[in-house]
Amino acid sequence: MRPELAHALDTAWQALGRPGVWWTGSERLHILSETRAARRCALCRQRKTALSPHSVAGRHDAATGLRSDAIEAIHRIVSDPGRLSEGWYRRTIQSGLSDGAYVELLAVVAITTAVDTFDRACGAPLRAAPATVSGEPTRRRPARAQTRQGWIPNLAPEYLTAHDPPLYSAAGRIGGNVHRALSLVPEAMMQFWDMFETMYLPQHAMRDFGREYRAIAHAQIEMLAARVAVLNQCVY
Amino acid sequence: MATGGSGVAGEAELLAFADAALYAGNSLAAARRAVAARLGDQAMIDAAAVIAGFDAITRVADGSGIPLEPPKAEATAEWRARLGIDDYWRRKV
Repeated sequence: MRPELAHALDTAWQALGRPGVWWTGSERLHILSETRAARRCALCRQRKTALSPHSVAGRHDAATGLRSDAIEAIHRIVSDPGRLSEGWYRRTIQSGLSDGAYVELLAVVAITTAVDTFDRACGAPLRAAPATVSGEPTRRRPARAQTRQGWIPNLAPEYLTAHDPPLYSAAGRIGGNVHRALSLVPEAMMQFWDMFETMYLPQHAMRDFGREYRAIAHAQIEMLAARVAVLNQCVY
Repeated sequence: MATGGSGVAGEAELLAFADAALYAGNSLAAARRAVAARLGDQAMIDAAAVIAGFDAITRVADGSGIPLEPPKAEATAEWRARLGIDDYWRRKV
């Protein structure tokens, strides 16, 4: 395995146990556990096969004591991401989960999904949860975050202040919508993207067709990306 | 899901690997071996990384409701309309 790939996966994984911006390290590990539990949840399986996920009521097979709106969010993001909607997001936020807590939850689900799917694909056992690091969340919200694209407030590159982390410039990111998706919580955005770019390609390499950066070529990479997007019914 | 005809090296093996990694646990070991046999061990690992990375980023995209960037939207407007993809987006509730 490329050393930088192993390092990126381990770095993202270990960070899950550390305090975040809106969740403690312990709570972030509960989100990890719930992400794994969602794959075995009977209610999620029923909803996935229903014409509408809203037509099936019931309780999730939860693995943790997280608040119920967080459990619903995690299970839906894991089991049926292609049918998430703005209405569903609004109801989740109206239940009391803050938009920042939702974004960080989404990042933790995404990192857990990436690492677990990678290990499963390679035939490796799923990793043990990382150690919990004590401490309080920073609860720092970017001052100039606003809803400009999508459902959630985000921090576009032109609205960065000197107090915000270098979430775009540090890695030459252009600040496309997919970069902005997690930017309400810059630390979570950077944890996800530092890992993801090592699994896929960094910004400068995406359209550098004169050179191959991986053991598979650009065309093979994009074909796999498209296949996974179809399987997950990704609208973006 | 159909495969074939793209001209991409190892197309059938790579697509079967993606399908198995996401949804067909029983066939995953065979799919993994097939990619390694056709393209090499490192290619199998890099393919697994792409599959896993996109298994995650699709959730980030759909969990945040981000739209296409304007240049991409403009470039794909005709065939998105022809396939009815925009109707799917509008009918999500």
